[in-house]
Amino acid sequence: MENLRSAPPILTARDAGLIGCTHCGKVDRPGVVRCARCGARLRPRDVDGLQKVWAWLIAGMVIYIPANLYPMLSTASLGKTTENTILGGVIELMHHGSYGVAGIVFFASIVIPIAKFIAIIYLGLSVTRKVRMPMHRRHTLFEIVEFIGRWSMIDVFVVAILSSLVRLDFAATITPGIAAVSFALSVAFTMMAALSFDERLIWDARNEDAE
Amino acid sequence: MSDVQPTEMVVEGPKRSAWRNLSYVWLVPLAALAVTLFIAWQSWAERGQRIEIRFENAAGITANETALRYRDVTIGLVEDVAFSADLTSVVVGARIDRTVAESLPADAEFWVVRPEVSASGISGLSTVLSGAYIQAAFDPAPGAGATKFVGRDDTPLVLPGMKGTKITLRTASGSQLTPGAPIFHKGIEVGKIESPRLLDNGSGVMVDAFINAPYDTRLTSATRFWQTSGFSINFGPRGLNLSVDSVASLVRGGLAFDTVFSGGGPVRPGQVFDLFEGEEQARDSVFSETIDNAVDLTVEFDESVSGLSAGSPVLYRGVRIGAVSDLGAFIEDMPDGPSVKLRAMISIDPQRLGLDADAPAAETIAFFANAVKGGLRARLASQSLFSASLVIELANIPDASPAILGIFSESAPLLPSVPSDLPDVGATAEGLLKRVNDLPVEELLDQTIATLAAVESLAGDETLRAAPDAFVALLDDARGLLGSPDTQALPAELKVAISELRAVSEELRQADAVGKLVAALDAAEEAATSVTDVAADIEGATAELPQLVADLQKLTNKANSLEVEQFLASAGAFLDGADRLIDTPDARALPASLTAALDEARSALAELRAGGVVENTNATLSSARDAASAIEQAAQSLPELSARIETLVAEAEKTLAGYGSQSSFNRETLSSLREVRAAAQALSKLARAIERNPNSLLFGR
Repeated sequence: MENLRSAPPILTARDAGLIGCTHCGKVDRPGVVRCARCGARLRPRDVDGLQKVWAWLIAGMVIYIPANLYPMLSTASLGKTTENTILGGVIELMHHGSYGVAGIVFFASIVIPIAKFIAIIYLGLSVTRKVRMPMHRRHTLFEIVEFIGRWSMIDVFVVAILSSLVRLDFAATITPGIAAVSFALSVAFTMMAALSFDERLIWDARNEDAE
Repeated sequence: MSDVQPTEMVVEGPKRSAWRNLSYVWLVPLAALAVTLFIAWQSWAERGQRIEIRFENAAGITANETALRYRDVTIGLVEDVAFSADLTSVVVGARIDRTVAESLPADAEFWVVRPEVSASGISGLSTVLSGAYIQAAFDPAPGAGATKFVGRDDTPLVLPGMKGTKITLRTASGSQLTPGAPIFHKGIEVGKIESPRLLDNGSGVMVDAFINAPYDTRLTSATRFWQTSGFSINFGPRGLNLSVDSVASLVRGGLAFDTVFSGGGPVRPGQVFDLFEGEEQARDSVFSETIDNAVDLTVEFDESVSGLSAGSPVLYRGVRIGAVSDLGAFIEDMPDGPSVKLRAMISIDPQRLGLDADAPAAETIAFFANAVKGGLRARLASQSLFSASLVIELANIPDASPAILGIFSESAPLLPSVPSDLPDVGATAEGLLKRVNDLPVEELLDQTIATLAAVESLAGDETLRAAPDAFVALLDDARGLLGSPDTQALPAELKVAISELRAVSEELRQADAVGKLVAALDAAEEAATSVTDVAADIEGATAELPQLVADLQKLTNKANSLEVEQFLASAGAFLDGADRLIDTPDARALPASLTAALDEARSALAELRAGGVVENTNATLSSARDAASAIEQAAQSLPELSARIETLVAEAEKTLAGYGSQSSFNRETLSSLREVRAAAQALSKLARAIERNPNSLLFGR
């Protein structure tokens, strides 16, 4: 545990003035464009990487607003049309007694995206600011965010399946609302944000700490 | 740490400006922001204008569900339903399409469409599933943009924006006026009426009506409206006339209009028309109104004017040209004392005579003056065959005593009158009625009823019903009798017997008749010579005479007891039976009960037909006829036969007379011949009887 809190100072490629390949891990001299081993483009870490994270994250957050305000589903049954937002759907499910489903929808559509936003913001800030969380834990957090991102799409899948299955014309019809598209975009953007986060930056701070 | 050799390298170039460092990725959040803002703007723009409609109650209206429709296109949605501040009504807030809201006038009508079942049909059925909706109707007024409205409780009959003419009808009673009742013009539904309302002073009922666009051009000031109650009963010279209009108008009632005379002016919206009870009144109304530029004339009558009243029509060659306006009596001094005359004031419409409406009265009077010279006279006439009311008829009577229009009269020109032929008509009718009255219809009816009852009772009688069966049985018997070989063989047997007889006599004659005659004569001579013996013999023969007579009688009896007698007896019995049948009280009661049996008889006939009894009867009759003709044929030969027999007998007698009466042969021959003659006589009697009335065999009379 001691190691986790403060890893022993090691010489990184960056410290040595070299560039590590993000694909195969081979270290090259700076100025080399492509990795001699695997041919991947060598990318030195820079502030641009964090910039992309912020851009994708903001896009995801902006588009998350209409995803919650506009109806996700519009259900037309026997001439009556009801429209439900995400939160409205959760509440309605609870009224019907489906607490399990309501919980899943609530967790996947509201808790996870918001947690992701917070996590990415925290990680992004942690690169440039001093934070308490140890680097190893931050790395774990990043991996969790990257892994769990795709599961937020569960709501979109449900809507897609329902609206393609329930097409009974007059009796019942389900059509996706604006929120479905917005929500899908929001999830995609936050995934992009997580992807464009260069986890090496987490560890760069260690040397600065050491210095 | 000292063995670490830092490499010489350029880590970073000169710091570029912050803008240059910006990644293109930033376009993504910008785009996301733009899209979000666009969505927000769009939904705000689409949100629509909020309007408020005040309803008496909010039956069927649900917030966020009930739609607003205009021309059956959804234009908005109810946002909330709330009470007004004083809780007296319900305020329905709704968001409607902005483009519609812009041209919403303040008098737009809103009402709730629900399923409705009424006499005129079922409406709003689609709302059973979709729920009620609010229907809007208005005449678009761009830029009006009203937002507060008062909703209706019922469906308006005349929607704003409909093309047509709105008029008002005035009537005394609204009992037959149902809101929404149709208005017909020549049988076509062209409009509707709204709810009738009482006049403020309570003196009548007003009802607004709407005539749809293409038809409102049919409205003129000469248009008259009347009620059509769906069916009408009319009793007139052509009998009872019941006409039924459409069932819908039977239930809801309805109105009709037509232009009853030409020359009406155009109608302005909201014009008031009178509503009449029926078409007749509506058409008659034209004359009861004040005639423009009416020309007054007076007519004096000597006879009773009972049936004439103010308003009675004045006809000229059957065309109505005016009306009686006043009726009165006055005393006129005559050479033989004062006498009462009846004077009628009549108003003539110059237009109906083809004169201009604005022609001076003098022109009309001049026309009448001319006409009177030509023989125009006024007289009373009956309005119709079935009514006691009278009309004044202006008729041309060529042979009328010359007269002129009494222009000198102080009040109005006096039109000369002639006595009508009314009383004659009355008398004739009265006489006719009296004669009809005098007809013993009731007695006749009584008799008829009695007869029918009697007929009924007879027809219902079992015996009568059994009569055809008995009759058939009788005929069968008769046929059996006639057809029996015995009866039919009778003439043949007779013929055979006679031919035998002839053969005998032939033999007698041929064999040695002459010889025997000579011998007989010789014997007679001989006998004459012995007169005494002969006389004794004669005495003996005379003593034997009674026995001969008895024998003869026996023979006759035998002949009589031939089967012919039996036949006659059975025929007599048959006749008796027939007589008895006819004599039965039942048969005599027959005419007394014929009618009610008519259907029974009919059914019996049907049974008969079904059972082929008629055919049987026919067959029987035909066979009876055959038998009768056979008998007739036979009978025709009978007289011949009997004549022959008689001549034969006469011959034989002659022969025998000369033969001598003493011999036993003679006697026997004589008696047998007599028997034969008696038989022949009986035969000829029978033949004559049959000849006289062959039917008696069948019918017993």
